[in-house]
Amino acid sequence: MEHGVIVNFDDVGIGYEKRPIIARKLDISIKKEEFWGIIGPNGGGKSTFLKTVLGLIPPVSGTVSYEYNPVFGYVPQFSNFDDIYPFSVKDFVAMGRYSRIPVGGSIKKKDWDKIMQCIETVDITHLLNRPFRSLSGGEKQRALLARSIAGYPDILILDEPTASVDWKGEAEIMSLIASIREESKFTVMMVSHYLDTVKKYSEKVILIDKNKNIFQFGSNEELINSTNLSNLFGIDIKVENADNRFSSIV
Amino acid sequence: MNTFSEFIGSFYLWREAFIVASVSGAICGFLGVYVILRRIVFVSVALTQVSSFGVVLAFYIQTLSIGALATFVDPFVFSILITSLAALFFALKKNYFPVSQEAIIGFGFILTSALILILGSSLPHGADDIDSVLFGSAVVVDAKDLFIIPINALLVFVVHVVLFKDLLFVSFDTETAKLFNYPVEVLNIVLYLSLALVISLTTRALGALPVFALLILPPMIAFQLLENVKAIFILSMVLGIVSAMLGYYFSFEFSLPTGASIAFCASVLFLISFVLREFKIYLLSFMKKVGI
Repeated sequence: MEHGVIVNFDDVGIGYEKRPIIARKLDISIKKEEFWGIIGPNGGGKSTFLKTVLGLIPPVSGTVSYEYNPVFGYVPQFSNFDDIYPFSVKDFVAMGRYSRIPVGGSIKKKDWDKIMQCIETVDITHLLNRPFRSLSGGEKQRALLARSIAGYPDILILDEPTASVDWKGEAEIMSLIASIREESKFTVMMVSHYLDTVKKYSEKVILIDKNKNIFQFGSNEELINSTNLSNLFGIDIKVENADNRFSSIV
Repeated sequence: MNTFSEFIGSFYLWREAFIVASVSGAICGFLGVYVILRRIVFVSVALTQVSSFGVVLAFYIQTLSIGALATFVDPFVFSILITSLAALFFALKKNYFPVSQEAIIGFGFILTSALILILGSSLPHGADDIDSVLFGSAVVVDAKDLFIIPINALLVFVVHVVLFKDLLFVSFDTETAKLFNYPVEVLNIVLYLSLALVISLTTRALGALPVFALLILPPMIAFQLLENVKAIFILSMVLGIVSAMLGYYFSFEFSLPTGASIAFCASVLFLISFVLREFKIYLLSFMKKVGI
């Protein structure tokens, strides 16, 4: 494997058995410290791609290999969680540390120190003993972010991290992610519907829509343009590269 | 009607049954928290019924003239084996049939219920035996229950304490647990097999109805009153013990069927907790309104 590559796709086919394939014969190298943005319409295969990167879904063909055994941090959409669980924010964030604690092992003091550092980083110390289920959308996103970095990951996977927050919340969460990444230097892969956010933060981009047989990947400058995005979303999208602005005409 | 002093004075009569019921209440209350959290109430009903079926089937085989085999068919062991197989089936969640798992659980419940009645009717004691298995009308427990149930309950409890964070994590967020290389299927099997073991042992001793009540109602009460996971487990265990003790006491006092009395006491505690919760919500909103 090439030096600096953390995840390598070699001739990989993505999808579920007995269902339409999302992409075939992919050769992708995800390198350390890169920021990948993944965009496409709902139901287009973004989450399936992410799960293949994470190793949660085996490729239908080819090989996904890792440079070593990377630690993943994962921010799923918080609607995935059942509100019946009365976990406090502290207990919820602590789960992110379990990637470093064996089954049957307990959370040691040094683990709690790291967990508390992450809670402080995302500025939710005042919510420590509140039940996670009672938090607002923005507070939940911060708790999820703290949880995802509590294991000090090599790769941070963000599945629509700002889907349930307003514009201000979106800007705050993204700025927080950028500052944590600046310090921790991990690789980021982010699914987002905010095109300007992807344009602003990503170095590499993947465009996915299995229904139109679209799977393109490359640099931000190369792929984010009016033609590609209009084709991907089926509406006229005008990209004004000068100030990262987007406008759409349905 | 007996008095409380008569109840205490008859300690030697109900001591074993009281201990077994209390230990059963504690361990059922503990495991019941997972039943509520994982929303598998129907699985626990099905397992309780499968366990009863195992006991009745063992009784039935004992009545057949198949030589030495019949003497080796112990209702305890038979019930554990059959319930464990059913639990494994539910834990692995494989799609063997083109319908939802709930439908298959329903099928298992119906089939085992029918077989309990069919096989039970041909037992020498017939309806009495079935009533004993389903509703726990037996006031006196077997001497071996006094050792087997506490030892197994302790074993299950120790395993669950060691794997506490892991079982909760896998229950709450399976996807991230897989990502962290957690043995998700193994942990699911541990949980379901411990449910199978506890249900089998306690059903044989107490009956299906009280076991189901002790699995469901104490955690429901704890969830109504508390917002802390560890505290919910502890309170649920305590409420399981209290329900079983009260059930035995009222059964003695008013000559009620013991199993039904335990289930009724747990139900009353649940209703009280519901009223308390509503009162707390009303009080908090009132205090907020008047600015206290």
